[in-house]
Amino acid sequence: MTVASVLAVIGVGALAGLDLVSVPQAMIGRPLVAGFLGGAVVGGPLAGLATGAVLELFAFETLPVGASRYPDWGPAAAAAGALAALRGGVWDPAWMAGIMVVALLAAWLGGLGLMLVRRLNAAQIRSREPALGRGDAGALAALVFGGIARDFVRAGILTGVTFAVGERVARHVAAGWRAPRELADVAVLGTALGVALLSAWRLFGQGAARRFLAVGTVAGVALAAGLLAW
Amino acid sequence: MVKRPGAAPAVPAAPGFRTALARLFTIQAAFTYERMLGVGFAFAAEPLLRALRRGGPGGEGAFRAALARQSGFFNAHPYLAALAVGAVARAEADGAPPERIERLRAALVGPLGSLGDRLIWAGWLPACAAVALLMVAFGARAWAVVVFLALYNVVHVWLRVWGLRQGWRAGVGVAGALAAPGLQRSLELVAPVAAMLVGAALPALLGWYPFRVRWEVPVAAGAAVLFAAGVRLLQGRATGLVTAALALAVVVGVGVLW
Repeated sequence: MTVASVLAVIGVGALAGLDLVSVPQAMIGRPLVAGFLGGAVVGGPLAGLATGAVLELFAFETLPVGASRYPDWGPAAAAAGALAALRGGVWDPAWMAGIMVVALLAAWLGGLGLMLVRRLNAAQIRSREPALGRGDAGALAALVFGGIARDFVRAGILTGVTFAVGERVARHVAAGWRAPRELADVAVLGTALGVALLSAWRLFGQGAARRFLAVGTVAGVALAAGLLAW
Repeated sequence: MVKRPGAAPAVPAAPGFRTALARLFTIQAAFTYERMLGVGFAFAAEPLLRALRRGGPGGEGAFRAALARQSGFFNAHPYLAALAVGAVARAEADGAPPERIERLRAALVGPLGSLGDRLIWAGWLPACAAVALLMVAFGARAWAVVVFLALYNVVHVWLRVWGLRQGWRAGVGVAGALAAPGLQRSLELVAPVAAMLVGAALPALLGWYPFRVRWEVPVAAGAAVLFAAGVRLLQGRATGLVTAALALAVVVGVGVLW
């Protein structure tokens, strides 16, 4: 792993983190996209995509609604995608379980970091209150670009720390795993699907949408059976 | 050019429209709990308000007063905030009284937030994510990401462009734009479509996941249902994310100490 690769992962994570709130909210920070990009910059896009797909299930739970506190999936997924790719295309359930624990914690910490950025933004706004009162366009631009810079730094640090800690944890877990590896598989997809199921129920479990959810689920079960048979 | 009978009168394009549109993508960059989107709102509206500086009745003073007003508290869905930016800038350009502009801003907060949350966060985003996950399940690889980004952003960018344009056209009468039949029809359609796609994507992933042996599939499905029921029983005392992280940490501990 070269320094350039690590910097590329941090760059992808920082951009993915920036996307959530600051700019451009184009869903580059969704786990599926950030995981794929994180894997791609270290040469394993498909491992990154698979990791991102699992994290995407967890991300169904939270909608980035206004002032509410929500996790930041971008940096966590970019680091997790890169870590999955480091395994060289081999799907190791224990390695994946280690990555997932770190990625989930990183996403949660990302939400806390976002609150810190908002407080720093507020301090900057207070210091420029007189200029805002005078309708100073320069002050507005400084506040917006300052907010972007703070968010970029936050997301970059979070990606770097997640990558460094995740690499150690995943390596330790994979080397020390003694239980049947199936346990890790079932735990990772079971919890991810569980969170997504509950979120789907909360979103669509009332009114007319409930019937469509049921129809979709029946179709999904049939699709899964088809995929397994194939 | 022949004008169609009954067609709406042409509205001159807003000067600074493109710059304002580009700035709308940063509307949440200076988000705070006090002003919410206020600073980003004023930053996006500023290119549209420059007309006041050049030819308006109050000149530079009117421009600065308008900018100061627009940097106050504002909250809405970030994409649909474009509608408010356009409308408020038009009202300022038309010389509407400041109290009326303040009332317009305040009146748009609730409807734009609620509409955007239902249309995008609880509808279009889950629908696009579900399409991408279905594509992953069927081995579409990188195309899943490409299609997800393209599908989602066609609507995202269109909403910003439409919002800014409609807002500028309507000015203080912007409420009519929210009742547009296309928007209302989209609201009716998006939840059922998203529900069906999400419902299909979740079980389909059981057929995609690289399980080592077949019995893992029903066990993982059962674990998912049990886990969902467990998180529901917590009744909001812990999120699914935190509960999942703790559960996975316990599994990792068990796996290592086995």
